[in-house]
Amino acid sequence: MNKTKRFCAIALAAMMAVTAFAGCGSDGGSSTASNGGGSNGGSGDSAATPTAPVGDTVADPLYGEGENGTIKLKVWGPPEAQDILKKQCVAFSEKMKDYGDVQIEVVPQGEADSATQVLTDAETAADVFGFACNNINKLVKAGALLEVTGAEKDLVESSNSAESVAAATVDGKIYAYPETGDNSYILVYDKSVVSDEQAKTLEGTLEACKAANKKFAMDAGNGYYSCMFMFTGGLKIDGYDDDGETQKFTDYDEATLVNTMMAFSKLLAVDYKDTLLNGETTKVVDGFKSGTVGAGIDGSWNFASAKEALGDNAGFAILPTIDVNGTATPIVNMFGYKLIGVNSQTAYPNTSIELAKYLAGEECQQERAEKLNWGPSNTTVAESDIVKNDQALTAILEQSKNSVLQVSVADTFWTPVGTFGNMIVDADKPLTEDAAKDLIKSTISNVRDE
Amino acid sequence: MIKSYRLSRMISDIVIYVILGGLGLIWVSPLVWLVFHSFRKEGGVSVPYVFPKEYTLDNYKALFTKTDVFDYPRWFLNTFVVAVFACIISTLSVLMVSYAFSRLRFKSRKMFINIGMVLGMFPGFMTMIALYYLLKAMNLTQTLPALVICYSAGAGLGFAISKGFFDTIPRALDEAATIDGATRNQIFWKIILPISKPILVYTVLTSFIGPWCDFILVKIIMGDNRDNYTVALGLQRMTDKEYKQTYFKQFLAGSVLVAIPITILFLKMQNYYVEGVTAGGVKG
Amino acid sequence: MTFIEYQALTPSQKASYKIKEFFSLLPGRFKSFFAAIGKFFKNLGLKFVGGCKGYGSRFTKGDFATKLSYIVMGFGNFTRGQVGKGLAFLAAEILYISYLAGFGLKWFNKFDTLGTELTHQVIDEVTGRPKSVMGDNSMLILLYGTLTILLTLVFIAVYIANTKAAYEAEQSVKAGKKNLTLKEELQEFLDGKYHVTMLSLPVLLISVFTILPLVFMILIAFTNYDKQHTPPGQLFTWVGLDTFRDVFKVTEGASKGYTFWELTKWTVVWAIFATFSNYIIGMIIALMINKKSIKFKSLWRTLFVITIAVPQFVSLLLMNQILQDDGVVNVIRGYMGLAPISFFNSTALVARVTVIIINMWVGVPYTILQTTGILMNIPEDLYESARIDGATPVVQFFQITLPYMIFVTTPYLIQSFVGNINNFNVIYLLTGGGPSKNPNLYQAGETDLLVTWLFKLTMNSNDYNTAAAVGILVFIVCATLSLITFNMSKSSRNEEEFS
Repeated sequence: MNKTKRFCAIALAAMMAVTAFAGCGSDGGSSTASNGGGSNGGSGDSAATPTAPVGDTVADPLYGEGENGTIKLKVWGPPEAQDILKKQCVAFSEKMKDYGDVQIEVVPQGEADSATQVLTDAETAADVFGFACNNINKLVKAGALLEVTGAEKDLVESSNSAESVAAATVDGKIYAYPETGDNSYILVYDKSVVSDEQAKTLEGTLEACKAANKKFAMDAGNGYYSCMFMFTGGLKIDGYDDDGETQKFTDYDEATLVNTMMAFSKLLAVDYKDTLLNGETTKVVDGFKSGTVGAGIDGSWNFASAKEALGDNAGFAILPTIDVNGTATPIVNMFGYKLIGVNSQTAYPNTSIELAKYLAGEECQQERAEKLNWGPSNTTVAESDIVKNDQALTAILEQSKNSVLQVSVADTFWTPVGTFGNMIVDADKPLTEDAAKDLIKSTISNVRDE
Repeated sequence: MIKSYRLSRMISDIVIYVILGGLGLIWVSPLVWLVFHSFRKEGGVSVPYVFPKEYTLDNYKALFTKTDVFDYPRWFLNTFVVAVFACIISTLSVLMVSYAFSRLRFKSRKMFINIGMVLGMFPGFMTMIALYYLLKAMNLTQTLPALVICYSAGAGLGFAISKGFFDTIPRALDEAATIDGATRNQIFWKIILPISKPILVYTVLTSFIGPWCDFILVKIIMGDNRDNYTVALGLQRMTDKEYKQTYFKQFLAGSVLVAIPITILFLKMQNYYVEGVTAGGVKG
Repeated sequence: MTFIEYQALTPSQKASYKIKEFFSLLPGRFKSFFAAIGKFFKNLGLKFVGGCKGYGSRFTKGDFATKLSYIVMGFGNFTRGQVGKGLAFLAAEILYISYLAGFGLKWFNKFDTLGTELTHQVIDEVTGRPKSVMGDNSMLILLYGTLTILLTLVFIAVYIANTKAAYEAEQSVKAGKKNLTLKEELQEFLDGKYHVTMLSLPVLLISVFTILPLVFMILIAFTNYDKQHTPPGQLFTWVGLDTFRDVFKVTEGASKGYTFWELTKWTVVWAIFATFSNYIIGMIIALMINKKSIKFKSLWRTLFVITIAVPQFVSLLLMNQILQDDGVVNVIRGYMGLAPISFFNSTALVARVTVIIINMWVGVPYTILQTTGILMNIPEDLYESARIDGATPVVQFFQITLPYMIFVTTPYLIQSFVGNINNFNVIYLLTGGGPSKNPNLYQAGETDLLVTWLFKLTMNSNDYNTAAAVGILVFIVCATLSLITFNMSKSSRNEEEFS
């Protein structure tokens, strides 16, 4: 590479080392040395003014990390996406080959588990990793994620849906790059049992299933699904109290909430008691395969199996409405996003940031939508034909507009809300008004650990 | 008189046969279900009938061919290696500790016994995080030796049964050997061990099975190093929400393959096991 | 009263005798248990004082080489023909000091506060991008601090032993005796001190990988290490007994205190049912198999025992699947025209009965294996006389077999009782603690045992300190129970103290 650039980098590195060692404790060595310095950083134009899009005007997007030999990065992605992820990482290395030798090891690690692994031991964890947005709060609290700032922040905000950006935001700061926009559940149904029209209301869906002597499957004992009972009634989660950990709830109208809960209870525990199959979501697709289930509530990770089981009869729609005292109320669900984060302890922060940005970018999201059928968070990709022509993706992206964001959900939320769901669909007794009020109170106090 | 006695005995025998048959069926049928459904071709997790409609070997083949997500053969081998080494170390520790507690007399022996008994009662997985960082300080995390250490380090605490067994061996044996000039070391290796086959087999069996069953510790220790997973963690992973729909039949097939060698081993060694546990258990 | 005399009593007499005996012995047992603990600590204290005394007097009485051993360990032995021993002491000193200097001291220094500097991120001035500035990690400070303290205790013991060895070597030279050479000392480890050889490796492994993590865990209960204080991003610190107060405090609505008491009740009920159902049913089956006139004994035994050989997590996940609402059991019930039962998701009672029954499926084969041999040893004349009195097999079982077995296998019963209190696998894999129907339980379901709750507290809600406190409480109960019964049982009746 050219000599002036190298000289600048060395001079800067020396300068920075002095400032950094003054303030930095035990870990100073590795991160300062690798931070090197940008080629035109000295004159302080584009790198110092973070608003300029980095990739275009800065000559070295890796800020000199490539100068000191091979950059070795580890990336975590879900096992089923390994092939595409590897391909994309190779493409990234290719793009960066003028600035440094980037070698990327792709390791399978499911999004649900990656946060736990990072929190157990951040040092051996991946430099760049995918995770589910409900873990972002934990990760940020533990200081495990590198904040998204400057040009990257602008890029993330401008190219992704507002909800997905909100999912990556904690206390007004963005900490990750939205990767997908489909981490949630909708109504999946067998078109030969439930018509598209019937699928618009919960009553219609249940009636159609009952008429065909089939089941309606959902996991009402799991807080992830059962929260829809309270969200629909207007009791939603609203981040945390000032301590940053106690779940806060929105104000709600008790009468509406009680009515909604009783409406759900009447349908699921009384009128269609024998139609409801309450259990793990695997029962939905299993039931399609064996012909025992007519419709169910299932997550996007099972869409492919549902299509395989039902073929042309596979129907996907936003969650139906429920009749609460004569008003058709749309069911509100919980919606999550998969995010890509940069490990704060990485030895190569700049390259990792570039890689995360690339993997979460439009090009990669488009490819994943095509090959894996993952719903995008990128607004351009969401408008593309591949999404428009896919009923499941269209439905789930539409559902995202009527949902509660799965972020800032306390760990204490899930178990009590699962109990909440069980109590509503409890096959032995429909919910009374008093019981509903008690249930609301005890659920809230349990989640808030009061 | 004799006839009626015979008759009543026959009736009681028949009743016992029926009860045993019924109970035996209850005990074995889940395993039969496991074997049959591991060959099931259709369906996902559950099907609304008892026996599969179509049979196939695909579930087994997939275990050995589709190794990109679940590398079953490699994990099987890992588990085997870990089990063998853990078994050797555990067996040695258990025998050494219980021999010392049973045959040797020394200061604060009683205190050691009490402490040893009590230590085993802390819920083990509470110490996992500490264990992880200890292993990390030794640069062992994500390696198979770390697993061997975890599975065998605490083995010495399980001395109760084999101490009970050694207690039943007459002391006169030791005394006679001592008069002949044998050291305690020689007594242990040349006299006690050869007649302790039942307890040896019992200890070997139990410590060999351990690594095939744990999926909690191994998950923490191995982290993202999937090359070093064990078969228990792999199988347990197959029943996770993301994979269950696709991999459940493979899970059944994998379970059968794990169960077969252990079952054979166990049935072969059953008599020793019974002898060891009976002799050791009573004195406890 | 001997066992035979006891047999002569009528059933009601037996019961009242048993109950009377139990309660009359109970206070004594507790008293002697705590007396034993007290004695243990007293002895420890005496030993310590004695050690200190000896330490001082040896220094004043010893000659120059012995005195120098107080600073340069092993010097005394080295100069008196025990080169190997001396070098070993010196090596221990050097190792310990270099450990302290290179690693231990920097962690130990922060042990009182568990760290003060928070990890945070700053924006790099040149790149405009964020980077981490590492602060203290409370967990590592606690862990390595504990390690340092334990190592120091060990070192002090070695150090005292060193002064003693130096003094003894001096004395024996003065007395004109020749000190043992290294080879002779090593040979002694194969005979007179064989217990040291046998125990040192296991004790070392247990100390490092069991005791150290346990001490660490116990200390966690006295900190505020919970979801709001998770390293490396946050610090935690000492809070004394606050966590225990939390666990015992019962408030209205959902609370940890309420959950603790509820789960304790269920855990005890579970342990009793799980232990005795396995014990009795297993014994009855063993008796049936071993009845003289029954043929194919090994076949019958194999049928039951085969379930032991299948790894437990497999058979339990399997059972979970079979008993689902749409599982094969309900399919068969459907064939028979019966309504399906929701085993795990209807009421607490159904789920609890289900886990107890499934636990029998898991545990009975063990009982069969473990009791077969003992059952064969029951004196035949006991049955003989009962038969003459016209006792039916059922009466024989409850009047002879069961009392005899309980008499002989008390240690085993206690062991399996404690095992059931800590029976993580069955509950976790079968129900996962569900059904969750009681909204006042904090992070727990109706079938959660204390031990599975503890796991959930660690893994789901990150209440590490509460989990540690609950673990300690469970441990105290189990340990007391088994120490009392073990030390009362016949195998060690005559040595009832700790040391």
